[in-house]
Amino acid sequence: MTVTSATIPKVPTIPTMAPAGQASDPHRPPSRGPRLLAIGSGKGGVGKTFVTANLATALARLGKRVVVVDADLDGANLHTCLGVPAPRRSLADFVSEREDDLGKLLVDTPLANLKLIGATHGNLADAQPSHLRRVRLLRGLRQLDADVVLIDLGAGADAAVLDYFLVSDDGILVLQPEPTSVENAYSFLRAAFYRRMRLAMVGHGVRQLVTLAMDQRNERGIRTPLDLLREIEATDTVEARRFVETMRLFRPRLIVNSARTAEDVKLGFAVCSVCKKFFGIDAEYLGYVNYDDEARRSVSMRRPIVDLHRDADVSIYLQRIARKLVEGPLAQSSPASEASAAIDRRRQTGDEDRHSTANPGGFA
Amino acid sequence: MIGIDELDYYALLEIPRSATRAEVERAYRLSQQTYAEGSLALYSVFESSDAAAIRERLDEAYRILSDPECRSEYDESRSTADSPAISTPLSTPGDLASDPEPPARETATATRARVVEEFDSFEDDGRGDFDGLRLRRTRLFRGYEIEEIADVTKVSGTHLRNIEDENFVELPADVYVRGFVTAYARTIGLDPKIVVPSYMARLQASRGGDQRSRFLDRH
Repeated sequence: MTVTSATIPKVPTIPTMAPAGQASDPHRPPSRGPRLLAIGSGKGGVGKTFVTANLATALARLGKRVVVVDADLDGANLHTCLGVPAPRRSLADFVSEREDDLGKLLVDTPLANLKLIGATHGNLADAQPSHLRRVRLLRGLRQLDADVVLIDLGAGADAAVLDYFLVSDDGILVLQPEPTSVENAYSFLRAAFYRRMRLAMVGHGVRQLVTLAMDQRNERGIRTPLDLLREIEATDTVEARRFVETMRLFRPRLIVNSARTAEDVKLGFAVCSVCKKFFGIDAEYLGYVNYDDEARRSVSMRRPIVDLHRDADVSIYLQRIARKLVEGPLAQSSPASEASAAIDRRRQTGDEDRHSTANPGGFA
Repeated sequence: MIGIDELDYYALLEIPRSATRAEVERAYRLSQQTYAEGSLALYSVFESSDAAAIRERLDEAYRILSDPECRSEYDESRSTADSPAISTPLSTPGDLASDPEPPARETATATRARVVEEFDSFEDDGRGDFDGLRLRRTRLFRGYEIEEIADVTKVSGTHLRNIEDENFVELPADVYVRGFVTAYARTIGLDPKIVVPSYMARLQASRGGDQRSRFLDRH
């Protein structure tokens, strides 16, 4: 049977959000608001916040209007890396519904065109936002008056983290060249991949199949995305086609932090190759940041290293990645907006919340 | 749907059909490292038997694509088959093979080539002054470990590290260092005629300063 894209039911898209200000990036359509970059890591302690703070600073130094958001509500310390005192108002106020306007949570940093939304003073009893609140947050971020919004995600792969990662224009994963970090990076990608697929699938039966595949020891023996696709193909060729299309649009980007050897530098290429051969996805290697004691010292001094020692090796690599983010092809609307649409659809049907309750952050 | 065992040799090595011999070599080397037993990148994803099967196929792909005659025969056989020019894993369901080629598939492989190219574009042009940091950056970028250079040059790893760290006090007399830097530069593909003079100028400036301070200390 031949299936063309015309036969695939269109996924509904979320309403277009008007930007609060005119984006200064000439390559960027003015109607989409700032570009969202979500920075995650499967494991804590790999330098995600350090990388986020420095990329934000480097992007601001490249002339971009940058907002950096600390979405790590359980371990907020982005403000420390940026040299900003603990903000009195933060994302926690938005999560607990004390404040609806994200613009009022913006805090100045030493750089005029870099603003912070911190995550301090959270409610320890209920730190994570509900699904509805997450959707509102993402919409609010798209309306900020900025060119780029960087979101420093919490470590791990719970539902909130995955949603930010999937809905952003660029999901960036930071890993370190050590087995624990690589293992958790793959766990993160696996969780993100299946969540993305489950959100994209329309048919109830196929969605159940994807949910089943999330359990690596499922009774149907689905081990890999390839196995899953074969199962879907046998059930529904239109959904199979959608699966393939969605897979093509899922393009996580990687940064290898604390590289010490040439082998470490090449790890990014190797992980991309494995992602392609195992998941069938085109991950992109953004670059590496070398191990440097200066980096640790900069954190102690509560200054981004790209500010403190602009010529240090580690700063040069971070600035290089920032330039790549600015100069690289801007993300097409489809991956982010389709994921947004899918999350939106689940929200409307209430399916997402039901699943979250039944299986909170539960990805194999 | 295309699994690893069904990928064509170009897709296996993640290169376009137009890849040069050098690109085939480079892709194969990279793949060998990626799918080597104990590779960090494989950790927790592929079973060792799967990785062994991939290695076997990579060897086969390299054997064919690195031999012009075999490659030409292979290309001819593929052009008559209905497989795509650049196939990517998991990108086309088998029963949808008659669909028109989606344009993004070309992009997928092109992107990898572009990323590698972008990395290359950051590579040192080999001109201008060299210091220890620039030497280390170039070495890392070109994929050499200190131990590999030590093996080739027979200069101890300690000296090589001291050269990179500009730990001049620990280095032997200038005449030896000149030889070490020459061998180092040659091994990583830099021109010693450009590297050595600027590096030695730094060494001598530093040592001149040390000698002056020692002289002042004595008087």
